[in-house]
Amino acid sequence: MAITTFFSSVAASGRELTLSDIINAEQTRNTAISLLSVLALVGIWQVGAWSLPSSVLPAPTTVVQALAANLAKPDIWIDIGITLSRIAAAFLISMCVALVLGFSMALSKTAGVFFHVWIVCGITVPALVTILTLYMIIGLNDTAAVIGAAAPVIPVLAINIREGVKGIDPRLLGMAQAFRAKRRQQFASVMVPQIAPMLLASTRFGIGLIWKMVLFVELLGRGSGVGYRIEFFYQMFNMTEVLAYALSFVFVMLFIEVAILGTIERRIFRWKKQ
Amino acid sequence: MNYHIREPKVPTMSQISLTDIHKQFPGRGKKGGWKALDGVSLEIAAGEIVGLLGPSGCGKSTLLNIVAGLDTTFEGKFSIQGKSLTEQIGAGFRIAYVFQEARLMPWRTLRQNIEFVLEAADFARTEWPGRIDKVLSLVELSKFADFYPLQLSGGMQQRASIARAFAIEPDILLMDEPFSALDELTARRLRESLLHIWSAFRSTILFVSHNAFESTYLGDRVYIMSPGPGGRIKEQINLTHIPRPRSYEDSALFEQSKRVVESLRRHMGELVE
Ligand SMILES: Nc1ncnc2c1ncn2[C@@H]1O[C@H](COP(=O)(O)OP(=O)(O)O)[C@@H](O)[C@H]1O
Ligand SMILES: [Mg+2]
Repeated sequence: MAITTFFSSVAASGRELTLSDIINAEQTRNTAISLLSVLALVGIWQVGAWSLPSSVLPAPTTVVQALAANLAKPDIWIDIGITLSRIAAAFLISMCVALVLGFSMALSKTAGVFFHVWIVCGITVPALVTILTLYMIIGLNDTAAVIGAAAPVIPVLAINIREGVKGIDPRLLGMAQAFRAKRRQQFASVMVPQIAPMLLASTRFGIGLIWKMVLFVELLGRGSGVGYRIEFFYQMFNMTEVLAYALSFVFVMLFIEVAILGTIERRIFRWKKQ
Repeated sequence: MNYHIREPKVPTMSQISLTDIHKQFPGRGKKGGWKALDGVSLEIAAGEIVGLLGPSGCGKSTLLNIVAGLDTTFEGKFSIQGKSLTEQIGAGFRIAYVFQEARLMPWRTLRQNIEFVLEAADFARTEWPGRIDKVLSLVELSKFADFYPLQLSGGMQQRASIARAFAIEPDILLMDEPFSALDELTARRLRESLLHIWSAFRSTILFVSHNAFESTYLGDRVYIMSPGPGGRIKEQINLTHIPRPRSYEDSALFEQSKRVVESLRRHMGELVE
């Protein structure tokens, strides 16, 4: 359908309404809907705050004020920095392991069957058990925390990557070979673009899971980071600070998701726009 | 557009020479293998257009892959102007391929798709724009150089894949049922397009078809193969006497395509009896 619209707009090039106008109009509409959706969320929160004691659910304005006050002091920035570096380390570990597992499962039948058992175990064991076990084995330190956050994510990522690699079109590789493209060119120009969507999706998905895991490991066994602070204020029955810290991190993750990954996605997938 | 039309190459010696080619596909597990080719010999001169016809499964694609150098596990002698394919390729000999599907990379524009094969064939970057503009204009796609394949119709995509093949100025062009996925009217335009661009390059073309009329329209000669297993060449039909450029209305074409159909039927019949 998109192609038909496109051609009719090329054919009638004298017409005023062009394709980019249509796309822009749709974008404006979508932005408006997204804004409404955010407002609705805040509204629901506000209604909840009215009907519950403020010690249980403080109003959005209170939380935002607390957040603003926090941001003026260095403490929260240090905690965000620590948590972000744990997320980065855990993500790197889980992505690398998952890439090795995913590729070998896609390319070798033996590896496929062999690691399948591990993956199934990995998915069924609760993350809490994995994390506690690692804290016991390695000790209550950052190594255990990072590995503990990475481990539960690996099986899911590995499955994603396996499917992506299996989806590489052998016909395009055949074309590249028929035209005698060198191995490097085959890899960089034919294989990588085909697995790029999967890699990007896995990155998004992986970071989304990992940041929750990191908060979890910090809450269970670390004395620093956003997760630890949330736990600390929770023990103090200070829900305003709990929510303020959580909100600060939601903004950080939104920034990574929308500004960084979203830009990469738009760059890579220009060809899919029509 | 006035491009220099090359004179037909004078066939001196044969360019592609296959002698007594046998190809056995190994079986899996208990199942025996499959004898795909059983003693195929053929000679093709430089600049000739030759068709391979036969029932599906008779080994046409297998033969094409051998000539392309994609399959090297066969018995028999295959040489290009007296030398092995590897030697020839080392000396700058180029082979292009047009597949049944266009096989363009959807994330690259037409221009970028052609750049891919120019890079593979080691053409200097400075030559790229000139070559791309030339082949795209020969297949009437100049305006679409910066379009992505998915923005174009199937016929246009296949024309782009023909342009891509000629961009590297191939010595040999192999085509495996290049028009069989298109409707007849589109296919007609593309065959004309193919012969038009070919007249500027005069590459040797070896194509596979299962359409008798198509192969008579395109070919200087067509080879008829027998059904597999053990596909062989049963007959060749010469069409050089039909002058080019050919017209779809030419009655000589109809005569010859009837001969091709009869020949196909005769050699299929051997199986039935
Ligand atoms: N890689 C392979 N392994 C085993 N058998 C194959 C393989 N490729 C082709 N064949 C068999 O060889 C025969 C000829 O195949 P092909 O050359 O593709 O026929 P076609 O004439 O239809 O192009 C077919 O029966 C096919 O099943
Ligand atoms: Mg075939």
